[in-house]
Amino acid sequence: MGFVRFIAFAVVRAWQGFWRNAMMSLAATATVILMLVLLSGLLIVISGLDSGLKFIESKVAVTAQLVDDLPDSQRDALIAYVEGLPGVKGVIYVSPEDAMHRLEQTYLDRGLKLDLGGAPIQLYASLEIALDDPNFSQSVADTLKDPKRTEVDRITTKQADYETLLNIIGTIRTVGVIALILVGTVVLFMIVNTIRIAVYSRANEIEIMRLVGASDSFIRWPFILEGILCGLIGGLVTIVLVAIVWDPIQPVMVTVFQMPTAVSAQFLASLSAILLGVGLGVGALGSWISVRSNLSAAT
Amino acid sequence: MISAIDRPAVGVEADAQPVISMVDVGMTYPNGKVALADVNVVIPRGDFVFLVGPSGAGKSTFIRLLIREQLPTSGRVVVAGRDLSRMRRRDVPRLRRRIGIVFQDFRLLPNKTVFENVAFALEVTGSSRAEIRRRVPPLLNLVGLHEHDEHLPTQLSGGELQRVAIARALVHDPAMLIADEPTGNLDPVTSWEIIQLLIQINELGTTVLMATHNQEIVNAMRRRVLALEHGTLVRDESGAAYEREY
Repeated sequence: MGFVRFIAFAVVRAWQGFWRNAMMSLAATATVILMLVLLSGLLIVISGLDSGLKFIESKVAVTAQLVDDLPDSQRDALIAYVEGLPGVKGVIYVSPEDAMHRLEQTYLDRGLKLDLGGAPIQLYASLEIALDDPNFSQSVADTLKDPKRTEVDRITTKQADYETLLNIIGTIRTVGVIALILVGTVVLFMIVNTIRIAVYSRANEIEIMRLVGASDSFIRWPFILEGILCGLIGGLVTIVLVAIVWDPIQPVMVTVFQMPTAVSAQFLASLSAILLGVGLGVGALGSWISVRSNLSAAT
Repeated sequence: MISAIDRPAVGVEADAQPVISMVDVGMTYPNGKVALADVNVVIPRGDFVFLVGPSGAGKSTFIRLLIREQLPTSGRVVVAGRDLSRMRRRDVPRLRRRIGIVFQDFRLLPNKTVFENVAFALEVTGSSRAEIRRRVPPLLNLVGLHEHDEHLPTQLSGGELQRVAIARALVHDPAMLIADEPTGNLDPVTSWEIIQLLIQINELGTTVLMATHNQEIVNAMRRRVLALEHGTLVRDESGAAYEREY
């Protein structure tokens, strides 16, 4: 019962303190929201790009266009040879007919019909080589470029796309983390100051509490909870904001970034948990720092 | 200097357990100022003691040592059987519940009613609502404010404010009440009313230590007087006046 009374006391006092010092509390909460919105944006973009990266990794990494009219026996021997190369996950043979069918399908997906005007166009036959790791791309390509391999006409790889995307993700992650650290510092500063002002504005009350024998917990925890309240409100508001904009974002994650639908459905829940956790953590840390530096002498 | 350790106060049995015991207590601040030097005092349970002396004599330091706001730089302070120098920090709140304290400036919360101000001392030490409802009204009765329990401090006179502060100080049923210039802001008539209340509280068994500059009250009461000058206890005399009479 004593613990429940303590919690009730601390929560009520924290709530009263939050609104008594409303301007500073709301300003601190606004900075928490700003930080969490930035964090949400970063996580959404990085998750999207990560999904895109995984998609590229899972798709064809090297395409070997074959010379025209390659005998089936040589083609099968080539497939067997490629399948034995280090880092190769699998090989798919795409015949000229299959290639044409894909091209037609691509047009259909865009609502168009492929019209060659009766021209006798034949597409290349090719091998689509999937890799265990995109880093094997160059070695597989170099092996097939060997002049002795007369079956192969031309090699294309996704290595350049992969590396471009990897660079973009790296840059965004670095810039995002730096921005988050800067905003996080501002948030901590705001919360520390909010709690400092709360402590000073209630100096008389704290003095009385000390003199009548209130324990440190009774004096400190309302202030710590006040900081946590800034983080909690900031976290909840940000979750609502993200939920509102999630409807238009989700299809983009699925279609543009190729995020699997199941992952995309869970993403909002995971993001909400992260936002709440970070909000509460920053609020608790800021108020703890403030209480530690401003109340230790007084108690 | 007379040591109270060697001599119990008049009217108090020699074997009564002391509420306060100071042995060779010295207090020197970091700037070198000596606030107290070699103070030896024993205050038995149930005593009524005046602490007198000019401003800067060391009265405030004396009181701060008793409530463990500060620790002496030398000597030993024992309150209610506990050596304050050896007391762990987390035990200090429990000590302060054994000591009620009132100040010249009342130190009430302006946004709380009389009842709430007294209840606050229980609330912040984890008492239940039932306990608060049980303990506050008798105290307001004792100090004569039971009909003012819903009033805010701004609606009360100086004497009434001090009564609220006294009720709050008594809420944990302390062994000792420390009153630091409790009549300093009050007119003579109201001052006497407060003194009567303190006497009543003392007669109920609570030890009272009152720091004061009010010569008239000390001279009229003829109780034990501790006189400080420049941090030294220059007089510890029972049934005494404000000034030395010999």
